[in-house]
Amino acid sequence: MDRRKVLKGIATTGTLVAAGGFPMPSIAQGAKVLKFVPQANLANFDPIWGTQYVVRNASQLVWDMLYGIDDKLQPQRQMVESEEVSSDGLTWTFKLRSGLKFHDGAPVLAKDCVASIARWCNRDAMGLMLKAIQKELTAVDDRTFKWVLSKPYPKVTFALGKVGTPCCFIMPERLAKTDPFKQIDEYVGSGPMKFVRGDWKPGALAAFEKNADYVPRSEPANWFSGGKVINVDRIEWVIMPDPATASAALQNGEIDWWESPISDLVPVLKRNRNIKVDIADPLGNIGAFRLNHMHPPFNDVRVRRAVQMALSQEDYMRAVVGSDPSLWKAIPSFFTPGTPLYTEAGGEPLKGPRNYEAAKKLLTEAGYKDQPVTCLVAQDQPALKAMGEITADLLKKIGMAVDFVATDWGTVGQRRASKNLPGQGGWGMFHTWHAGADCANPAAHIAVRASGDKAWFGWPDSPEVEKEVAAWYDAKTLDDEKAVIARLNKAAMEHVVFIPTGFYYAYQAWRGNVEGIKNGPLPWFWGVKKT
Amino acid sequence: MFSYILRRVLATVPVMAIVALFVFSLLYIAPGDPAAVIAGDQASPEDVEKIRRSLGLDRPFLVRFTEWTWQLLHGDLGTSMFTGLPVTELIGQRIEPTLSLMVVTLLFAVVAAVPMGVLAAWKVGSWLDRLLMALSVIGFSVPVFVVGYLLAYWFALVLDWLPVQGYTPLAKGFWPWLENLILPAIALGFVYIALIARITRATMLEVLSQDYIRTARAKGLGERSILFLHALKNAAVPIVTVIGIGVALLIGGAVVTESVFAIPGLGRLTIDAIVRRDYPLIQGIVLMFSFLYVLVNLAIDIVYMALDPRIRY
Repeated sequence: MDRRKVLKGIATTGTLVAAGGFPMPSIAQGAKVLKFVPQANLANFDPIWGTQYVVRNASQLVWDMLYGIDDKLQPQRQMVESEEVSSDGLTWTFKLRSGLKFHDGAPVLAKDCVASIARWCNRDAMGLMLKAIQKELTAVDDRTFKWVLSKPYPKVTFALGKVGTPCCFIMPERLAKTDPFKQIDEYVGSGPMKFVRGDWKPGALAAFEKNADYVPRSEPANWFSGGKVINVDRIEWVIMPDPATASAALQNGEIDWWESPISDLVPVLKRNRNIKVDIADPLGNIGAFRLNHMHPPFNDVRVRRAVQMALSQEDYMRAVVGSDPSLWKAIPSFFTPGTPLYTEAGGEPLKGPRNYEAAKKLLTEAGYKDQPVTCLVAQDQPALKAMGEITADLLKKIGMAVDFVATDWGTVGQRRASKNLPGQGGWGMFHTWHAGADCANPAAHIAVRASGDKAWFGWPDSPEVEKEVAAWYDAKTLDDEKAVIARLNKAAMEHVVFIPTGFYYAYQAWRGNVEGIKNGPLPWFWGVKKT
Repeated sequence: MFSYILRRVLATVPVMAIVALFVFSLLYIAPGDPAAVIAGDQASPEDVEKIRRSLGLDRPFLVRFTEWTWQLLHGDLGTSMFTGLPVTELIGQRIEPTLSLMVVTLLFAVVAAVPMGVLAAWKVGSWLDRLLMALSVIGFSVPVFVVGYLLAYWFALVLDWLPVQGYTPLAKGFWPWLENLILPAIALGFVYIALIARITRATMLEVLSQDYIRTARAKGLGERSILFLHALKNAAVPIVTVIGIGVALLIGGAVVTESVFAIPGLGRLTIDAIVRRDYPLIQGIVLMFSFLYVLVNLAIDIVYMALDPRIRY
């Protein structure tokens, strides 16, 4: 027994004698509670309306999916028992597993899936593509629904099971009929855990209780797929904004699992024999130097290439993750290393020694004349702040003027949407990062798209890039896909759609009495045991 | 007395109206876009615009202000843009931890600081006086988060006497409630101990030089009786004033302390709301704090009357 328990026992005895009563437990005595510190606050709980990763990560507990991606990034059946595709590839017929039930006891019906897919289609890039070629999406009977398209779309099951946000979670029809740009106000799913609405304190606590009626698949759990077996009675998400506090709480046994310890604190955690530390997500993150293609100076490809040839990914990565070389790697690519489609084709500008003189020469050729680059740097995001400081130094080294706008992420989020000139409320560049899971292929990798004013912030315009993205959607074999991605990477490098600043990992840490924690693009709770 | 309290409470109405207008205007012109935060990093500009419209953020200032004021007059602080929950519910969830922290901190600070100040005044110029005043300088100088981390390290991690973080509601027992508040209250109380101790010392020095204190000593009264019954009571008005000011400072200090000790109080709610630009929530919290501060000032004025019978309103 530890000292605090002894002290607590003495004090509690005194208190009970004085108060004449016992404390009221909010959960059953002896229940197994897993206390988890997530990467961010769960500020809303609608995975279609709010597409933040933290919302998806919580939603996977409450809402199930028709398909689920495994660690090979292949879609596997989840709520679906079987699917049938017509010989022309235009009609998909899906049959649901029997016995699926929502948390309110109602059976999961085909009409629920139809409404959920329809809502998701309005918010997701792949969903929008499917909606554009959709002829019919209807329930055939209680367990069967049909999706008729006007042209073949080989990646339908991938789209329904992908890990990138927003995921196609299945909700009851009454919730799924909510406008996709408005938030749901009821949290009923058919997943392995139930959301405890009464215990939700946004910014402090979110709680989930085991769904006793959930019937897991018989296959072993593998990322989003397989048998989602929950071994604890309750999972509490404890929000801790201060990393030092989370670190101390983990060392003290007050929490069980910390999703994203900052690299500065990892050595302390590694020295503690009661704590295990490992890479959280093998797909990591890709840092990004996002340029505004619409206005000078980055509307000239020579200026973009000048920055590209001078940019040292090592400088950026050391600033972001510190001196541990196992936590980062240079990538002359827009795609995630270690995934089937990874390519370095066309990545030469990011390889080898950096050439400041050549960059200066190219800037002179482009007629660059001291136009300041408005750098939006979010000071409340440590990785972005670190990258912003490296960028300011880099641009000055190659002779560019810098207008360093130190602000917060909320303001960057607003200002980056402005298409005004940089001096009139617009911008020249900002940093962000993309989860490796989103950069494994073009489906969720909106940052690599170059469709002009319809593209992501910065609005790159390259018909060559867009041609290859379209070709990927039509590719039927893995070899076809690889060939397409190699051409796409080369075209995007030449156009400098954005500049990858490197690939980096993050850690996760947990108490030694917690078993079954796996690595992946999000924390998987199935199979996790607390002894 | 009753009419005075009523007049003071009614006087809060124009104050609150000015605060409401000021906060709403400030947030309107402040940079940042809640719709972009809601939509997430992967959202397209069109999606962000649709969310902005659905939240009503595309409407003119006057329309939004009029609607919000009308809701306010009906006792409705609105709905949080992010959580979809009523602002009153969110504030209700967080008010107990913050009030608990403030009360425990104030009690701790007053209990520690007033005797310190009295002792320092009594032994003015001695090593004890210098030691206590040196401690108060340290209290002023060391930031709350540094004290917080040091306390958490020693008393939670090394000695394992108290928890690192969290909050347990009072309804779940007195000790579970108190054990989570001890370290935060000490950390937050440091600066108030310094402030109150210095004011107490200065006021006591002035009172102790008065003729009636000399008379009391001449009558043969004991030092304890002179210090605590005669001198301290007469020095109490400035001390109570400082304690009142301290409540306002506590609100600011609670923001840092709640973050360091992961206490789910109003301070953290405020920071979260500001970072996300959750306008209705920010407005609701600021109004509530303003009202609280007005009430504290009223309470202080009433305490003046109790301490000094010469004061009448």
